[in-house]
Amino acid sequence: MNFAERIAKIPRQIIYTIIALAIIIPLIIPIGMPINVMPQTQKLFNAIESLPPDGKPILISCDFDPQSMPELYPMLEALLNHCFNRNLRVLILALWPQGAGMAEMVLKKVPVVYNKNYGKDYVFLGYKAGAAAVVLGMGDNFKNVFPADYYNNPLDALPLTAQIKNYNDISLVISLSAGDPGYRTWLLYGQSKFGFKLGAGVTAVSAADTYPYLNSGQLTGVFAGMKGAAEYETALYKKGYKLTSRTATKAMDAQSLGHFFIMLFIIIGNVGYFFMRRKK
Amino acid sequence: MNLSHDILVWISSLLTLCIFSFIFKDNPFYRFAEHLFVGTSAGYFIALQYHNVIYPNLIVPLFKEGQLLYVIPLFLGILYITRFIPQLSWLVRIPIAFLLGWGSGVAIPAALQTDVIKQIQGTMLVRENFIRWDNGLWSIIILIGVVATLIFFFFSKERKGIIKPIANLGIIFIMLGFGASFGYTVMARISLLIGRFQFLLGDWLGLIK
Repeated sequence: MNFAERIAKIPRQIIYTIIALAIIIPLIIPIGMPINVMPQTQKLFNAIESLPPDGKPILISCDFDPQSMPELYPMLEALLNHCFNRNLRVLILALWPQGAGMAEMVLKKVPVVYNKNYGKDYVFLGYKAGAAAVVLGMGDNFKNVFPADYYNNPLDALPLTAQIKNYNDISLVISLSAGDPGYRTWLLYGQSKFGFKLGAGVTAVSAADTYPYLNSGQLTGVFAGMKGAAEYETALYKKGYKLTSRTATKAMDAQSLGHFFIMLFIIIGNVGYFFMRRKK
Repeated sequence: MNLSHDILVWISSLLTLCIFSFIFKDNPFYRFAEHLFVGTSAGYFIALQYHNVIYPNLIVPLFKEGQLLYVIPLFLGILYITRFIPQLSWLVRIPIAFLLGWGSGVAIPAALQTDVIKQIQGTMLVRENFIRWDNGLWSIIILIGVVATLIFFFFSKERKGIIKPIANLGIIFIMLGFGASFGYTVMARISLLIGRFQFLLGDWLGLIK
């Protein structure tokens, strides 16, 4: 086997081992590579920044499950930190059944740090099946869709939700979306019909699909994958806000090195293939 | 090193390692973890769907609150089961037709508004796009990209004359789109791997905070 064949056919075990090391080493010994906040992240950050404290609440939809946790959970945590730092009130719901578990996890951790009260500063609506019907129904009357919260308290009995009727009483909707139902459901059946401001946090796989909606102004801003979460955490950190964790930021060295080696292997493979073809 | 004392963390970590072992080759540890995942997922989803969908949306209104209108969705739902009875399997068309009718009625106007009308508006060159020169430039590039890509998918006319270079330009834009999607896909997969390593090195082994 000559050199060209050798580099074109590197055993996958070697590739996996190098990628694993490229990820493990910077996680244990961080390098501290700079993180630039991209315009789409900054737009959503600015949209939240522009909201008045104690005004209309933000609605966060947890449309993901544990499989997408590394990308979307840091966004959820950073979002709650941002809202509570600014005394914004928050409603959380889930269009995915496991999204309710994700929301419950973050609600056990973040509000207590800011001394926020359930029912007054935030309310957890839980999961509701029938995504399109849920989004459409809330446009008419929130309480028809969610008569009670996740813990079976009637919404009329909670100070935050007592006065909420429909999307007119919501300042911004943010869908943390790992697929369908997700931000597209909110776009199709919510934003296009009721015209509310919509932001999205998406997995990197679907990030490219969000750009047309961002360009047309249908989406206010987008957090794209773990990188988007890290950018958001960085924007919050630069602004001097308190954060309960910076999981995504800590992962960015590993992400960059992982990408570097993948690019390297793509180039090496192509060079080897090119020389093998020339030889033939 | 500060090893976890939580049995659930240990189970989760060992199952992760079982799945990772497939990198080297198929083996009994991988197959055990895979089968366990499929089995527990199926059981979990059945319980989840019952408690979150069937119980609150059918059992409670129909049997506890006595709302008889809910007999209709119950009947439509039962018709799905006829699929397993060859003599009655044609009945499954009724709930499917109902769902298709409702789904199309709701989805088509919404998709037209979201994906066609708003997107055409977003592609148009309006004065506001040119307040900043770079915005204006991007708007022109987007317009050219949209037109060239649409012409590439225009199959009613032979590709020659002016159509050919524009369609070729369309291919470039399509390839750029594929490249961006692939790049983001790689990023997503690496992120998921990082998530697992953060769990193994942090929650399990206590090597990172």
